[in-house]
Amino acid sequence: MTNIRASDIEPQDLMVVLRHPPHGSHWLREGIDVALVAAAFGQRVGLLFQGDGVYALLEGQQAGALGQKGTHPQLAMLEMYDIESLWVSAAALSERGLSIDDLMLPVKPLGAEAVAELMQVQPHTLIF
Amino acid sequence: MQLHLLNRSPQSTAVYRDLGEAFGADDQLLLIEDACYAALPAASGVIEAFGGRVSVLEEDLVSRGLAGRVSPAITVVDMKGFLALTETHERCVSWF
Amino acid sequence: MATTTARTLMVEGQPIALDPEGYLVTLDDWSERVAEALAADDGRDLTPAHWEVIEVLRDFYQRFEAAPAMRPLVKAVKQSLGAEKGSSIYLMQLFPESPAKVGARLAGLPKPTNCL
Repeated sequence: MTNIRASDIEPQDLMVVLRHPPHGSHWLREGIDVALVAAAFGQRVGLLFQGDGVYALLEGQQAGALGQKGTHPQLAMLEMYDIESLWVSAAALSERGLSIDDLMLPVKPLGAEAVAELMQVQPHTLIF
Repeated sequence: MQLHLLNRSPQSTAVYRDLGEAFGADDQLLLIEDACYAALPAASGVIEAFGGRVSVLEEDLVSRGLAGRVSPAITVVDMKGFLALTETHERCVSWF
Repeated sequence: MATTTARTLMVEGQPIALDPEGYLVTLDDWSERVAEALAADDGRDLTPAHWEVIEVLRDFYQRFEAAPAMRPLVKAVKQSLGAEKGSSIYLMQLFPESPAKVGARLAGLPKPTNCL
């Protein structure tokens, strides 16, 4: 896995950090909604998947047992909102035994220093 | 240069790890609400990662009965100090 | 979804429940006849140009389980129908006021949530 260097990171108008897994709480959906709203208003939006948020990217997700909507269709829709700056914590992936090949979107893995650097260069960051 | 606000107890290890990963060399961490418990000496292992740039909000310490128990490595700030921190940092990021 | 019925529209003898903003209460009620009745109720005529956009909207909802805001609608139309039709001016001419909202209503989708 080649990690992206800090110098490759472009600042966005808004960065949303997603650190909660799908289905268990409303945090992930709310974070994605904020990103979509901002993008609908023409803001450039970047997403960082960190901690359990990386589970949002797993291939093969479905609706909940009682038919609750998943977040994977929302993530598939990011491209239609031109949200294409997608980063993931490489440490969060490897701690969970995952690799880029397990993920549904083309995300760029960031080493620990690059995550901190990413946070420094973004003018507005919201954590979910 | 960012001011990170954190409100979870040190038992919520995941948020400390994610914040640690995002913490820059000139950043400052302010412990509020349930994160006050991370200001106790017993939590020094969790706090170490933040390189001594850690403060805790006095009002939240006092209400939890922690006023005399803070680790010497951590700065106690009152509401005015909190305000001063938000003014000296470019932006605030909230972790929960 | 707990949507209240504000009124009903009769389509081929069947009452179709509409919410206060004119969206279908039950998305499964949609049919081409229902779309025509919704359009007639607004005083609009549906031409082939409208129908192809309605199809793009329904396809979008199938894929993403959400109604698009204006920008993604323009992008989806561009992908399906070409660059000439994938423009906000073209869509504004077809669905004056708000293409994303009016289009979603006629296509039997829920109201787009992240839109003006």
